[in-house]
Amino acid sequence: MESPFYFVLALLWIIGWGSVGTIVTPRIYSRKDLDVSQASLAGAAMGAAGGPLTLIPLWYFTPKLNWRWVVIPGAAIAVIFIVAFAAADPDNLCVTNGGFVATQLVNGLVIGTIYGLMALGLTLIFSILSVVSFAHGEFYMLGGMAVYYLTVVWFPGLHPLVGVLGAAVLTFMIGFIFERFFLRAMNTGQVERPGEYAILVTFGLAFFLQYLTLALVGANPKKAPRFFEYPTISLPSAADPWLMDMTSSSITLFGTISISTPRFTAAAMALILLGLLMWFLYRTWIGKALRAVSQDRQAAAVAGINPDTMNTLAFALGATLAGLAGASLVQVFSWVPWVGVPASARSFVIIVLGGMGSLPGAFIGGLILGIVEALGAGCVPDPQRAASYIPAYGMIILTLVLLLKPTGLFGREL
Amino acid sequence: MKKKLLNLFLVVAMLLVAVPVVAAAPPPQDGGQDYVVVADDWLSKLADKFLGDVLAYPAITYYTNQMNAEDSSYAKITNSDLIEVGWKIYIPSAEEAEAYFAGQTASVGGTGDTVKIGAVAPLSAPGSVTGGTTMKAAFEIALEEINEAGGVLGKTAELVLVDTEGLPERGTAAMERLISQEGVAGVVGEYHSAVAMTEMEVANANNLPVVFAETWSDAITESQYPQVFRIAPMSSLTADTYVNFMESLGVKKIVIMTENTSYGIDQAEQVTELAAAKGIEAVTFSADIGTQDFSGIVERIKAENPELIFVSVTGETSYNFEQQAAEGGIGPQDLPMICNQVAGDSEAFWANVPDGNLCIYTRVGLPKALYTPETVAFIDKYTAKTGKAEAESYAMEAYDSLKLMAQAINEAGSTDGDAIISALENISYDGALGTITFTYGNHNPIPEGVAAKWWHQFPDPAITLVQYQEAGQDSADVPVVYPPAYETAPVIVAGQ
Repeated sequence: MESPFYFVLALLWIIGWGSVGTIVTPRIYSRKDLDVSQASLAGAAMGAAGGPLTLIPLWYFTPKLNWRWVVIPGAAIAVIFIVAFAAADPDNLCVTNGGFVATQLVNGLVIGTIYGLMALGLTLIFSILSVVSFAHGEFYMLGGMAVYYLTVVWFPGLHPLVGVLGAAVLTFMIGFIFERFFLRAMNTGQVERPGEYAILVTFGLAFFLQYLTLALVGANPKKAPRFFEYPTISLPSAADPWLMDMTSSSITLFGTISISTPRFTAAAMALILLGLLMWFLYRTWIGKALRAVSQDRQAAAVAGINPDTMNTLAFALGATLAGLAGASLVQVFSWVPWVGVPASARSFVIIVLGGMGSLPGAFIGGLILGIVEALGAGCVPDPQRAASYIPAYGMIILTLVLLLKPTGLFGREL
Repeated sequence: MKKKLLNLFLVVAMLLVAVPVVAAAPPPQDGGQDYVVVADDWLSKLADKFLGDVLAYPAITYYTNQMNAEDSSYAKITNSDLIEVGWKIYIPSAEEAEAYFAGQTASVGGTGDTVKIGAVAPLSAPGSVTGGTTMKAAFEIALEEINEAGGVLGKTAELVLVDTEGLPERGTAAMERLISQEGVAGVVGEYHSAVAMTEMEVANANNLPVVFAETWSDAITESQYPQVFRIAPMSSLTADTYVNFMESLGVKKIVIMTENTSYGIDQAEQVTELAAAKGIEAVTFSADIGTQDFSGIVERIKAENPELIFVSVTGETSYNFEQQAAEGGIGPQDLPMICNQVAGDSEAFWANVPDGNLCIYTRVGLPKALYTPETVAFIDKYTAKTGKAEAESYAMEAYDSLKLMAQAINEAGSTDGDAIISALENISYDGALGTITFTYGNHNPIPEGVAAKWWHQFPDPAITLVQYQEAGQDSADVPVVYPPAYETAPVIVAGQ
């Protein structure tokens, strides 16, 4: 970074006035006997965006706060941040090269779609069972392993999509059996402290699955071949493929944005699966029953829905979603038995960001995390640090969300 | 009701246990006494009670096992942490215990008819499990050969392999366990430099000889610890080879993709420094072990326009990077890439990096043309045991480290630390890596003008660069492309 002074100044400005806003605004609102539910967050956003210039009018007029009071200053903060960054490091690729930024954004969106799919599973489980499954990453790992073993080792030549289906069936079964025999006890009063019990038993499942897999398949990294071989297509012509240049390994759009083909396949699969899930949850009786249980267990039970069955179904379905995320990525990344550990940490960040138990929140949270990680890896000036900090970007988001809006973006108000 | 039953059961169980204790009131016997273990006993507690020293428990273990050899009514204690109610054990008198501990210093390295040698390797994540399991197989082959050839000091050699998980703190714990619980005569192995750095501190504090097998960091021998020997190459040696190779290709700008470990950072810094001296500019990117998604970094590397990429991330992380670089258009087929040496496992490599043809990677150990009979014999056994096409360099290093230690103990004629160290300094061992000697040590101090890192360092671990020249090629067939002295095929420069 050439002149970090501007950037540090802007950061201090944002943090300083944001803190002032988040502390003082709720007090002023409560003194005037107004609704304070949004005051802390809106105050932080207004403070960080304009400092005293926006805070003082806000405190004076105390308008009724809604989401606009967060989103508009939020955009302003982003602009300040970008301008300060550009001023501080004018030679950074993220400032000088639009194609580079576009590629990073697209890559972030592509991987974020899969993060979202996986986090959806976790949030589905949480919304219905009120259990945070610590074995989520292991289902992700199992999904990938299942595809590898089905299509490469046991039945070479089997179509990858059949392998994906097999992975879905396997993770569904394991999830189903586990919920039925280990988590059901929580609702029948057999355990004294169900919350702690759920944490321990899912942790146990995580270790069991991870080390069992290690013992069965060994530590050698595995990778499935690409699911689809893409043809070579150049548009509009092979000599000048400015619109699209597709080879078997990557797709280049407009001569600048490049996505690798296995990654593209994975994201497309994730989107289709997401559509299917939405259809299932919003259009079928069982899906509606699931959502009903997540809203109010007792009311759902009165309406003739068996909450215990829905618990089992939700856990199995959540596990399947993680398994499908893994199944679609085993052709992108090398697969080892502990591959699920960072993936599950990421899912936790996403569901806190999106709001625990919120389905759209999980998906949008996944996209946001994907983009933040991609931009972080792409734009942090020091190349020694850019990629090393990838896990940290998620944690920064987690901390900010917990500080400013503990219920998450789409969380239910407490 | 359930609870009552349980209580009743417990009472009965305790009565059953207590009865024999009353019956067997221990008569004094040659100064020592018999004792039957009751609930809530443990050896150090008994040692404290009868001998006045909690640390005297090994004497109880020792004498009980001695008695067991003559009279099977005594228990056999295989693990001092585990005794069971009802066992008859022998508690020595204070004199006997003293005699045992006086003899103990002479009998480090295992009691009875075995000599114990410790081994350390990463067998679970976050360590390189691939590396660790490979080394384990090689140790087993070496151990078998040692015992077939008559063992160590006329006794059976016993290997105690401890998993260090690639974590420095586990290294300390492993070494302490090997020394205090197992009483090993020496330790061999290790894969991760960062772990070796903590292990050698324990070795130094306890005067225990260590032969490191696959730890490249210069700092290990730079410490000049009298107990520390290394048969792996040093990072700076390999860095030399890499930079000379880059110079021979005429590249002017390189990108180093490294991992955030002492191995990766050291290597990147050494290559950068040496490259700068030859007018080659190097930009370093680094990532954590276990990073999966390199797409953002690949784009950045692309923007740097390097003429060569040097990969020093290890394990499956290197496969992830190499394949994603290939998909991003900067793979080994687009520009010269020095891949991580795990590429030597050709089956795993081609499965994980299908676009990895023309990858250049390091191989440590003699080139095929110079294989000794020992090398060939080891490779035969190793490939038969593991089903792999070829022995990785760290397999050979692990094998040699154990056999080297066994030979040193035999030459020393005892398991005394100083004697083994002296034997190691003067050793000439013929193994899979060739003839191993250590030039500098107490017997031949490092002269002025020679860097400290040459202390107890095997000076000539042949380092060659080899290149996959056909997709799917077996690593046993890859040609050596550098240095010219060993070259078997010219290097194919990608992108030209």
